[in-house]
Amino acid sequence: MGLNISLDRMKYLKQYFKDRPLTDVELEMIAQTWSEHCFHNVFKGDVLTDDGRLIHSILKTYIMRATRELNKEWCISVFEDNAGIVDFDNGYAIAAKVETHNHPSAVEPFGGAATGVGGVIRDILGVWGEPVALTDVLCFGPLDIKYEDLPPGVKHPRYIYRGVVAGIGSYGNNMGIPTVSGAIFFDKGYTGNVVVYCGCIGILPKDSYVRNTCEGDFAVLAGGRTGRDGIHGVTFASVELTEESEELRSAVQIPNPIVEERLRRAIIQIRDERLASGITDLGGGGLSCAAGEMAYRSGLGVDIDLDRVLLKTPDMAPWEIWVSESQERMLLSVPEKNLMRVIEIFNEEDVEASVVGRFVETGRVRVFAKGRTVCDLDLKFLFNPPKVTRKARLPKPAHSEVNLDEPRDLGEELLKLLSEPNIRSKEDVIRTYDHEVRGCTVIKPVYGDEAGPSDAAVIKPLKDSWKGIAISCGINPFYPDPYWMVANSIEEAVRNNVAVGGRRIALLDNFVWGSPENEDNMGMLLKAVEACYDFSKALDAPFISGKDSLYNESPLGAVRPTLLITGIGIISDVRKVVTPSFKEEDNPIYMLGLTKEELRGSAYLRHKGVDGGEVPRVDGVISKRIIDTLIRVIDEQLVLSCHDLSEGGLGVAAAEMVVASKNLGAEIHLRKVLSGTRRSDFILFSESASRFLVEVDRSRYKRFEEFFSGLPFSKIGRVVKGAGLRIIDLNSRVSELSSREIKKAWRGY
Amino acid sequence: MKIRAEVRLKPGHFDPEGDVTAKSLRELGFPVDAVKVGKVYVLDVKVNSKEEALRLTEEMCRKLLANPVKDDYTIEVLNT
Amino acid sequence: MDAGKFRAIVLRTGGTNCDLETKIALEEMGVKTEIVHMNKIESKSLLDYHLIVFPGGFSYGDYVRAGAVWGKRVFTRLREQLEKFIDEGRLMLGICNGFQVLVEAGVLPGDGIGETPLVALATNSSAKYECRWVWLRVENNRTPFTLAMEKGEVLKIPIGHAEGRFLTDEKTLEKLKEGSQIVFKYVLPNGEDANGLYPYNPNGSLYDIAGICNRNGNIMGMMPHPERAFFGWQLPEWGEAPPERGDGRKVFESVIEYLENNIS
Repeated sequence: MGLNISLDRMKYLKQYFKDRPLTDVELEMIAQTWSEHCFHNVFKGDVLTDDGRLIHSILKTYIMRATRELNKEWCISVFEDNAGIVDFDNGYAIAAKVETHNHPSAVEPFGGAATGVGGVIRDILGVWGEPVALTDVLCFGPLDIKYEDLPPGVKHPRYIYRGVVAGIGSYGNNMGIPTVSGAIFFDKGYTGNVVVYCGCIGILPKDSYVRNTCEGDFAVLAGGRTGRDGIHGVTFASVELTEESEELRSAVQIPNPIVEERLRRAIIQIRDERLASGITDLGGGGLSCAAGEMAYRSGLGVDIDLDRVLLKTPDMAPWEIWVSESQERMLLSVPEKNLMRVIEIFNEEDVEASVVGRFVETGRVRVFAKGRTVCDLDLKFLFNPPKVTRKARLPKPAHSEVNLDEPRDLGEELLKLLSEPNIRSKEDVIRTYDHEVRGCTVIKPVYGDEAGPSDAAVIKPLKDSWKGIAISCGINPFYPDPYWMVANSIEEAVRNNVAVGGRRIALLDNFVWGSPENEDNMGMLLKAVEACYDFSKALDAPFISGKDSLYNESPLGAVRPTLLITGIGIISDVRKVVTPSFKEEDNPIYMLGLTKEELRGSAYLRHKGVDGGEVPRVDGVISKRIIDTLIRVIDEQLVLSCHDLSEGGLGVAAAEMVVASKNLGAEIHLRKVLSGTRRSDFILFSESASRFLVEVDRSRYKRFEEFFSGLPFSKIGRVVKGAGLRIIDLNSRVSELSSREIKKAWRGY
Repeated sequence: MKIRAEVRLKPGHFDPEGDVTAKSLRELGFPVDAVKVGKVYVLDVKVNSKEEALRLTEEMCRKLLANPVKDDYTIEVLNT
Repeated sequence: MDAGKFRAIVLRTGGTNCDLETKIALEEMGVKTEIVHMNKIESKSLLDYHLIVFPGGFSYGDYVRAGAVWGKRVFTRLREQLEKFIDEGRLMLGICNGFQVLVEAGVLPGDGIGETPLVALATNSSAKYECRWVWLRVENNRTPFTLAMEKGEVLKIPIGHAEGRFLTDEKTLEKLKEGSQIVFKYVLPNGEDANGLYPYNPNGSLYDIAGICNRNGNIMGMMPHPERAFFGWQLPEWGEAPPERGDGRKVFESVIEYLENNIS
C-alpha cells in the first residue's frame, strides 16, 4: 500500500526537508494528516469552474457560511470538534455526528460496518457526550444481481448486505445504545461501492464540555490495545477500490464493542468528576492524528513516547504504532493532579490505559521510540498542507418528455410500488437492532403494533424533562440533478422532523461521491453544496457537522452521488408528539403543498423504467411557511396524525398511514388535490416537495383552515371506518385496497 | 498441551444458525442439505498427562463451555 | 407506601447495559437502588439488600454462551453470600441477560446453586436478534414478582435478545409445571396460547416459556424487559391514547407489595 501523496506535494516536501531526510514515521504522519479522509483537501481547497469562477473552500463558502449567517444562539459548537453540539434542556446539550464507513464495509462487511458504528460512538465520547441513540443509512447494489455480472474484486450485494446489517446490529446492541432511525436503499449505482452511514446522538451537561489542554498535561491513551489492524485505513479510504483491495485487509479494523462499552463508562465518570482537560477519539490516522490535532488546536506541542503504548503484538515498528487504527481507543489530556484518579477510574472499569506523553510549549510533535527521536515536525507546517485545486465542469440540465401510458388500475400500481425494495418496510432489519434499550425511545422506527412507518424517531433522554429529541433523515439519491437532489434531501429531513412535532432543527451533511479528480463529479459536488447553502438558509436550519467521503470508485465506476442529511430537532413535550396512524372516523384529511408534474427520478418512473420529465423542486419560501404553520397547528393540537410525502408520493404516504392504523382507513379524492396535472397516476405518485398528509380534528377544522389561509392546501378526503384505502381518480373511478393487501405488499406479511 | 474442544447442538435440537447458513449456501447453488454450527475452543492447558488433560477439559465443558441441556462436545488432544 | 426503607442492588460487569433504566424504575417506586460493578462488589455486603437484580446486556460480550461467563464467575466468587441470601428468601431478579446468568449459574430453576444448568436459553429460532413487543400471560401470580397481577392477565412488554429460546428436558418441564414455576408464557394478544407461533412466541421457546422462578418463588428470571414498559411514553402506541403506565411496572409494584407484607 502506497502513501498516496500527490506528486506536487512530494516536491513540496522535498523542498521543505532539503536539509535532512524525512524519517519513515514523519512521512507516514504527513501522509495520514494530508489524506483526503483526514484533511478534506477538496472541501478545504480551491475549485475552478468551467464558467471561470475560483472558489476558495466550498466548505466555508457554502455550508459553514449558512451556519454563520443563521447565527443561532443555540449552536454551541459547530464544525470544530468531533461532533456538532447544540443546546437542549436542563443544562444539557445534544451532540450529533454522522460518519461513513464505505471502503472498510466493501472489503469486510461485518467488521467494516461494526467499526463504523464504534467510530461514530467515539466521536460523541470525544466531546464528552453520553451516546443515547444511533442511526444508520445503508445503500447496496440490487440483491438479485447475477454473480456473472460482477467484476473481480466486487462482492455480491447479498453478502455485503448480510454482513453490514449484522455488523451494525452487533455493535449497537452490544453497547446498549438504541438504533432508532435509518434507511436502506438498493441501486446498481451501489453495487461496486456500498454506502454505510453511521450516526450517533449523545447528551452532555453543557459545563462538562471541556477543551482546555494545557502545557504539562499528560497524554493518556486508553481503551483497546494498539495492533497492526487498521494500518493505512485513511489512505485506503482516500483511493479507489480495485481488485487488489482484497489484499488490503490489514486496513480493516477489528471491532470489540465490549471494550468500548467499558471505555464509555470510564469516560463518562471522568467527565462527571471533571478530571481531564481535553479528549479526542482515535479514528483515521490513529495516534498520529489524535495527538497532533489535540496539541495543534490548543496552540501547544506534544512529546510522545511510543515505548509506552500498550501493544497487541510486541514486534511493531514505530511508524506502525504511530498510525495504527486499532479500534476502541481514546486520547485524553489530564492535568498532573488528576492523573492518579483518572488511572484509577480506568482500572475500575477494566480499561487499559497508559501515559504516552506530555503536552509541551514547543509547537512541535516529537515522537520517541527506544531512546531515539523518530519524528520531529512543526505542527503549523503539518496542518497547513499546500492547497489542492480541483476543476469542476458544471452539469447541464437535460430535458426530456415522459413517455408513459396511463395505467388502468391505480390500486395495482400502488401495490407494486409498496413492495419495491426501496419503499417496502425494513422491519425485518429494524428488529435485529435493539431500538428500546435505555428505555428512552418514544417514537420507534416501527410504529405501533402494526409496525407502521415513522417519519422521525423521538427519544426522551432526560429523566426529569418532557423534552424530546427528534431524529430524521433526508436522502434522495435518485433525482438526477445534484442541486435539486440536495434541496429535496434537506427539505425531507426537515419535513420528517416536523411531521412528529420537531422544531429548531439542526442539520448534518454527509457526502458520498466519486473521485474529485473527475471534473463532472466536482461540478455535481459544487451544485450540491450550493443547494446546501440555499436551503439551509431558506429553511432556517443550520448545519452543525458534516463529513465527506470522496473517491468512492470501483471497477463498476463511481458511486451514485449521494448526500445524507440528518435532522436533529427538539420536541417541546413528548406527550404531544404526532404519529402517522389515523385516530378517528370521519376526520378530514388535508394535503399541504402543491402537487406538480414532477416525477423524474421518482419511485413510480423508476419502477416503470422510464426517465424523463422534471425532478421535484423546492420553493424555499413556501416550504418554510408551510412548515412553520404546521408546527403552530401541531402546538394547537389540531393535528391528530401526520405523515410526510416523499418516495412514491401521495399513494405511498396514504397507504403507509393505513398500515399504521387499527381498523381505520382513508378515502382520497384525486380531483381535490391541488395540482397542475391532469393525470391521476401523476397526482398519485408525483414526488413534489413541501407536502404532508394531515388528519385534523373534525370539530376544529375551521381553525386549521384559518391557519393555512394563503398557503397551498386542500381537503382531499376523510378517515373511514374499516381498514383500507379508497382512491377516487379524476374520472371518478374507484380503486379500493384492503388493509390486508396493503400490509402484505408493504410489510411482506 | 494443546487440546481441541468442539461444542455443538445435540442432535434433535433445532440449529437456527445452521439452518440459515444451509439456506444461504443453497441460494448460491451449492448442494447442501444441512449445516450444523458449533464452536471450537483450542486450549493450551498446563498438565503432565494426556489423561489429566482430557479429564480437565471434560470438566471445563461440563462447567462452562457447554450447556448440557442443549450441547454435545468432543475433545481431542492436538499435540503433546 | 414507604418503599424508601427497601434497598436494591443492581449488579453490573463489562457489557452490562440495562442497569440505569432498571435503577430508574426501582427508584421511581421508591426503592433505594445502587448500581455496583463486580470490581467493587467486595466492598458491599449483599445481605444489606432486599433485592438483587441482574440486568440486561451482553456481559463479557456473551462469549461462550449468553450469561455463561458472568453466571459462573459471580456465583463462584460470592457463593457463600449468595447462598445465604437465597436461603433467607430474599429476592433475586434476572432480566434478559440476567435471566441467562441465573440459568447458566444453575440458580434457576433449581434450589440453590447447581453445578450444571437444567435449562438453556438457546439462539432464537429466527437465528436473529429480535427487538419487539410481546404479550405475556401471568401463569403464577403468587410469586413476589407477580403479586400485583391477576392470574391469566395479559401483559405487553418488549424483548430484545438473540438467545432466548427456552429449552429443557421433559422431566424438568414437568417439574416446572408441577411446581408452578412457569411465571410468564408468550401468548397471542387475546391471551390464548401462542403454541410456538412466531412472532408471538418470538424465539421458539419450549412451551412458550418467557419467565420462570425457583421452587421457593424468591428468584425469578424473564427474557422480556419490564423496565422498558414502565412509563406510558415507552409504549409503542404512544401518540394514540395509551395508559399512563406500562405493564412492566407491575413487576416492580409486586416486589414492593411483597416487601411491605414481609419485611418489617
